[in-house]
Amino acid sequence: MKNKIDPVLKKVLQDFSKSYQGKREDVLRGYDFEELRTTLAGLKDRALDRNEEFLARFEGKARAHGSRVLRAKDGSEANDLILKICRDHGVAKIVKAKSMVSEEIGLTAFLEKNSVEAVETDLGEWIVQSAAEHPTHMVLPAIHLTRGEIAAVFAAKTGKAVPDDIPSLVRIARGEIRREIFAARAGLTGANALIADNGAILLVTNEGNGRLVTTVPPVHIVLASIEKVLPTVGDALTLLRLLPRNATGQSITSYVSFIAGPHRDAQYIILLDNNRSKLLADREFRDVLRCVKCSACLNVCPVYQVIGGEAYAHIYMGGIGTLFTAWIHGLRESRDLAKLCLRCHRCEQYCPTKIPIADLITALAEKINRETGKPLWKKLAFDGLMGRPAVLKTAFGAARTGRRLLARKDGFSRKLPLWLKKYDRFRALPAPAALPFSAVFEKKFVPGGAVQPGAKGRVQIYAGCLIEHFYPEIGMAAARVLSKLGYEVKLAPPACCGFPPSNGGFRKASLKAYAALLKDFDGDGPVITLCPTCATMLAKRGPSIEGSEKAGKLGLRVIPFSRFVLEREVSAVWRMAGKARKKAKVTYHDSCHHKNILKTEKDSRRLVATALRSEIVEMDGADVCCGFAGSFSVDNPEISAALLADKLAAIAKTEADVVALDCPGCLLQIRGGCRRQGMNVRVAHTAELLDEI
Amino acid sequence: MIEKFAAMAKAAGAEVETPGNLVEAISFIKKYLEKAGPGEALISPDLKNRNPFGMEFFGLETKLSGGKLWVEAGIVAADYGLAETGTLVHLDRGDVEKNVWTLPDVCFCFLERQKIVPNAEAIESVISDHLSRTDISSPQVSFITGPSRTADIECRLTIGVHGPSRLVILIVP
Repeated sequence: MKNKIDPVLKKVLQDFSKSYQGKREDVLRGYDFEELRTTLAGLKDRALDRNEEFLARFEGKARAHGSRVLRAKDGSEANDLILKICRDHGVAKIVKAKSMVSEEIGLTAFLEKNSVEAVETDLGEWIVQSAAEHPTHMVLPAIHLTRGEIAAVFAAKTGKAVPDDIPSLVRIARGEIRREIFAARAGLTGANALIADNGAILLVTNEGNGRLVTTVPPVHIVLASIEKVLPTVGDALTLLRLLPRNATGQSITSYVSFIAGPHRDAQYIILLDNNRSKLLADREFRDVLRCVKCSACLNVCPVYQVIGGEAYAHIYMGGIGTLFTAWIHGLRESRDLAKLCLRCHRCEQYCPTKIPIADLITALAEKINRETGKPLWKKLAFDGLMGRPAVLKTAFGAARTGRRLLARKDGFSRKLPLWLKKYDRFRALPAPAALPFSAVFEKKFVPGGAVQPGAKGRVQIYAGCLIEHFYPEIGMAAARVLSKLGYEVKLAPPACCGFPPSNGGFRKASLKAYAALLKDFDGDGPVITLCPTCATMLAKRGPSIEGSEKAGKLGLRVIPFSRFVLEREVSAVWRMAGKARKKAKVTYHDSCHHKNILKTEKDSRRLVATALRSEIVEMDGADVCCGFAGSFSVDNPEISAALLADKLAAIAKTEADVVALDCPGCLLQIRGGCRRQGMNVRVAHTAELLDEI
Repeated sequence: MIEKFAAMAKAAGAEVETPGNLVEAISFIKKYLEKAGPGEALISPDLKNRNPFGMEFFGLETKLSGGKLWVEAGIVAADYGLAETGTLVHLDRGDVEKNVWTLPDVCFCFLERQKIVPNAEAIESVISDHLSRTDISSPQVSFITGPSRTADIECRLTIGVHGPSRLVILIVP
């Protein structure tokens, strides 16, 4: 897979992302986003439940207005229908408002092949078409082109010199596009919603081309996919309250049109299925159809900001696009795209219809493995090692034996040779620890502290593989802190939770690892996790894939270290911290699962601030993934390196001495990056910082 | 609510005027047209036919310009205003009415004070009823908020890409 990173594009996308987030926050102030999106998701679900009924009602009502409603099973049928309409009405030129569905079916190329000129009228789409390129963003199709490049395209098109200031470019486009609109005999639009009760379509646009395309040419063709149907105007208004706010950070777009019936000669409404009925019937994946195409998920996707929409798309872009691709264009087309998702769950925090995009990508990875075969290295790693707890233990044992060969004095591994270089060029990898955490704990842990050990009951630490095999000192720090606070500390079984194979779409291997761990688990007190990914597996994913009562009970016992300490012991930490402010300047990195799934990021900040008696200096994009993401950094080392470089730059900008975090995976990545960059910054787990007060 | 409407409309890039009466509102538009020279004005036939203001639009040349590419100014009356977003709502009844919002360079819109409602939900049934009309060929409901805009080049907001570069709202008593 080629993931060429264009630094200019990356900067444009990242700047856009930042400004989008600021604007979105402003226009959502005073609104309860959670409530709004819960309402919209529920409404979309109910509309999907009765999709065919509402489509039939829409058809009846639209026909009563004089519209002609046609159904297309797939893209080729839709293309044929549109061509026939063009021929029946003598259309040699058709103007289009932005329609992703027309991209999905390859309409423009099809019409051109059949001697009908199809001209885009949305400025971004028109630029992209004039430049003979493809759209790279659903809302901002030409986001990858600079004004200079656009000026060159316009100059070639008009045969005149073109200044490269934006108002001049927009003025030139206005003239050119308007001439096209007046010369065309048909206009094509999509629809943001089809309103069943009234037979009307909803169009939400900013530029005004949508209105011109629907009113100036004699024939109006609407190409809409079947999931767009909503029962009532009220439902459309609910959509309208959230769509522009979430899409572009506007309280509303310039033009919103509810259109019923033909303006002039005729209006055709083509309802496209293209495998959506199949998707609708699939209980596991049908949430995808709640998508309202706002692009918010792209606007906050760390990978999309780095590689852009051309690399991260078949036609539809990003994570949600990968899911659409799997159904519309085929599983094979989605195979490489699925590997590009970090599974950071950031998009889900912004999705206006609560689509669990990351978990659906995991389910898709399983489906891809099942139906198209598994990649070899993952088969070895997940089926061969992680799915066999005994083999995995032996492998880590062997790695420890080879430690002398691998390790440098500073605890990092020696540099990787040959083609493996790409995996540690941007971050030094840790050497395996001389002894695993569980062995160090057995040998060296001495309970004690101001409070009688065990006075507050027993807790179990589940440290996870990285701490067990690479960072035992973090486990020991956590054990000492809990002991000092008066808890009797025991260790949970030191086996893999099964998350990595699960994320790779290796459900069976994941289940095997998880079930083996579950079998060995005992006790009934709190299970304190030091890795948010393990916590996610034990609290949520494990119980859902394994399904037993024991798994459910274990899930309820799981609590991340920082939340446990904050909820129960914040005043003790305050007392222990003493009065003196620590000199160190601290910034905090949000680990994806810690923030987006466990929602514990505020706990950690408060805890670190309390322990160090100091404010946290926030870094830019604290909640953007550091690029580790488990097997992601093996599949995509270039993107992983780019994300890490951004993270390190954000850290450097804060001039902090310490980066606090709660995930040993992020610690591996960021500490290794600092090492390679020669940055004199300490990267520490919250437990280590608490242990030092 | 009127203040909220005006503030939101301005935030979306519209110009908001509050003439004391209709005569002042009309003379405001006339002044603009005289200054602009012999351009063409497109007036909503609905506005002319209904004449909700009870007077003639003296001196305003009405040229229906169905086939014209460029129109200097458009004049229309909104049916409602939405305070939540500074949006003008128009229940379109025919072709020219639909074009009057998009073809001209400058769009003047009358809005009666008492027609400002808190949000779209307040007129949900009006919208739904209009869209269900079968006595007119193509009922359409338009929400217009500020001038035509795009951010398609380098994500910079630019005004007047396809529709008007100025939207002037005249809130009249």
